[in-house]
Amino acid sequence: MKVILKHTLLASVVAVSAAAQAAEVNVVSWGGAYTASQQKAYQETYKDPDSINFINYNGGLGEVRTQVESGNVTWDIVDVLPSEARVGCDEGLFEELDRSAFMPAPDGTSMDDDIMVELPNDCVVPQIFWSYVPFYQEGTFSGAQPTTIADFFNVKKFPGKRGIHTWPNALIEMALLADGVAIKDVYKVMSTPEGIDRAFKMLDKIKDHAVFWSSGAKPLELVQSGEVAMSLAYNGRIGAAVLSEGAKFVTVWDGQVLEEEWLVMMKGAPNKEAAMDFLIHASSTASQAEQAKYINYGPMRASAFDIMAKGEPWFHNGKNIMEHMPNRPEVMARSVVASPDWWADYGDSVSERYTAWMGQ
Amino acid sequence: MSSAPATIDGPLLTADGVPLKESLEKSLRRSKLRALLLVAPPLLFLIFLFVIPIGNMLTRSVDDKLINQVLPNTFEAFEAWDKQSEPSEAMFEAVYTDLKNADKTDIGKSSVRMNYAMPGWRSLIKKTARKIKKMEPPYREAFIKADERWVDKDFWLSLGIMKDKVTFGYYWNAIDRTYDFDKNVIHVDENRKVYNLLWWRTILVSVIVTLACLVLAYPVAYLLATLPMRVANLLMICVLMPFWTSLLVRIVAWMIMLQQNGVVNDTLVAAGILADDNRLEMMYNFNGTIIVMTQILLPFMILPIYSVMKTIPPSLMRAAQNLGATPTLAFIRVYMPQTVPGIGAGCILVFIVAIGYYITPELVGGKDGRLIGNMVAYHMQRSLNWGLAAAMGTILLCVILVFYWIYDKIIGIDNMKMG
Repeated sequence: MKVILKHTLLASVVAVSAAAQAAEVNVVSWGGAYTASQQKAYQETYKDPDSINFINYNGGLGEVRTQVESGNVTWDIVDVLPSEARVGCDEGLFEELDRSAFMPAPDGTSMDDDIMVELPNDCVVPQIFWSYVPFYQEGTFSGAQPTTIADFFNVKKFPGKRGIHTWPNALIEMALLADGVAIKDVYKVMSTPEGIDRAFKMLDKIKDHAVFWSSGAKPLELVQSGEVAMSLAYNGRIGAAVLSEGAKFVTVWDGQVLEEEWLVMMKGAPNKEAAMDFLIHASSTASQAEQAKYINYGPMRASAFDIMAKGEPWFHNGKNIMEHMPNRPEVMARSVVASPDWWADYGDSVSERYTAWMGQ
Repeated sequence: MSSAPATIDGPLLTADGVPLKESLEKSLRRSKLRALLLVAPPLLFLIFLFVIPIGNMLTRSVDDKLINQVLPNTFEAFEAWDKQSEPSEAMFEAVYTDLKNADKTDIGKSSVRMNYAMPGWRSLIKKTARKIKKMEPPYREAFIKADERWVDKDFWLSLGIMKDKVTFGYYWNAIDRTYDFDKNVIHVDENRKVYNLLWWRTILVSVIVTLACLVLAYPVAYLLATLPMRVANLLMICVLMPFWTSLLVRIVAWMIMLQQNGVVNDTLVAAGILADDNRLEMMYNFNGTIIVMTQILLPFMILPIYSVMKTIPPSLMRAAQNLGATPTLAFIRVYMPQTVPGIGAGCILVFIVAIGYYITPELVGGKDGRLIGNMVAYHMQRSLNWGLAAAMGTILLCVILVFYWIYDKIIGIDNMKMG
């Protein structure tokens, strides 16, 4: 009896470790179409696709900090938002990576110089740009159509409800832009208490018309069903509906707020070397460009952007992708690149005020 | 044992020559040990999954050690400062020494903590720390060159909030209060008040849900206990099926039923009861939270009441009626008092679960159906302000204990029957 038990135990241990080996690198990302694009562009083109295992999470550093502090790290790579990329690296939750190991652009530019924004720290590996942007359904407004961010806040000129999210990021910036603040001055104005008051005064104008959403699919539903006339949404969701499902959405490419998305390696990741190898592959120019075939988030590497622009129609179903890219040059000039440092400093106090504002 | 016969000198011995007292003690000790071993698993379970985490939570809610360890010279210089004059060169030098000696990760963690006391500290410390190696005296000029915010005296004054190793700041934050620079407790700005409202709403929702559950559960439990076995079993399955169904499935089902374009509204509009532009708002608000939480927590009320009702002999009701009571009177005077232990258990169970709820309010609460549990989750997962989350958790625990105490005073805890 004991012998049998011993063998069963041994067999199960072997089975478990075999399973662990089959999925060596745990990559944690947001799920849905986004993870699917990463799987297509990074995993399927990787030399050993079976060694990569994608896991979904809901963002935030709560789980990351728990794993690192308890010393029981099971994740290897995490897909994080800009403020988390900074706070996590500051707190020592992520590994600092050897920058020279990453692949340069085809013209020889090093990866760090190829990234379209300033590198915040040595923990991050470039992913994509995404944005908060206003949109509406064709035929919602007769006559003049909304073309600026000010139109979004103008319910007299463009009547109807507005869909906005339940946290203040991007909304403060947009409200100030709509109030006439120049793009380059947005964060300067936001750093003063009067600037925040000014933003909330603008938000007050749409408050009685606001429908709040907290999950990315919701704004599309709201606009599609006519429950709201215009809504903010993640640009990738709007693009996916237009590109893949033929939805008649019109994006207002003005005053959008661009956010970065980074990949990082967990401090004490169980499969450090394999994870690093995968990161090198995922951040290469070719992989980055490949990802844009499946989702209209903008690659962070300038060289990948060039490949796409020259390769149109680039989207996998034969449609043009550039007009849906949030970081194409003509749109960049009318966009704010979110400042994660500002949000890391003032995010808590503004969030409290925004929550109070919603509840009033 | 003092009852040893007085005629015998010396201690009483057992058959093998060991003094009786010792032998008794030994066997007593053995049985005590055995008892201890028997309760060890649940005891260890309690210690590891209850005492340690809660202790950890309590510690985190008041702990402010790290920052004092990382910036010892700074706080020393701060204490020596008169708070009126401009910060001196010596004070800047103290910060310089601390930042230079500290571990990079500790600086990161400290800067996040300092940012709670005054927004802006995080980037100020980070930016300065990045340039610290190249700095040369005079440090005041060097610091201001690194970041001009160092001229702002408020940053220095805010150190007063963090100078102690133990802080109650998180608790004050959790009830919309904060410290000023002299560590007096003040109200936060009117437009930043969030938590008090949420506390009251959380208690209100829990009370409403508990009462709603009681009203709905009592007749069901009565039917379960009194109907013939075959029908009662069927009814029991109807109660338990939703209980076993995944929480998310139930919530989504409610969304489909109750939303603006949902089944209920569509039916009412089709039947001509409601106008199309006057649909009921039952989802993504306070109502949604109440309706869905009541349905989800209902079994927690039904089952304890049912199990108590099952033990009440039907003959008592018959006897009461025999003695001249009307059925209603007999029910109120004889039957209901006997179900109080079940009601008590059900209410406590539902209330305690309801007060910490957060997934349901998150999904169906919209903007005015969110509860304090959502803020705890927010601070655990998003803002990473675990101190504040821990303080809220501790307050939540205290609220439950207060209600438990009130219950004990009114009904008596010995009177409770879980089943």
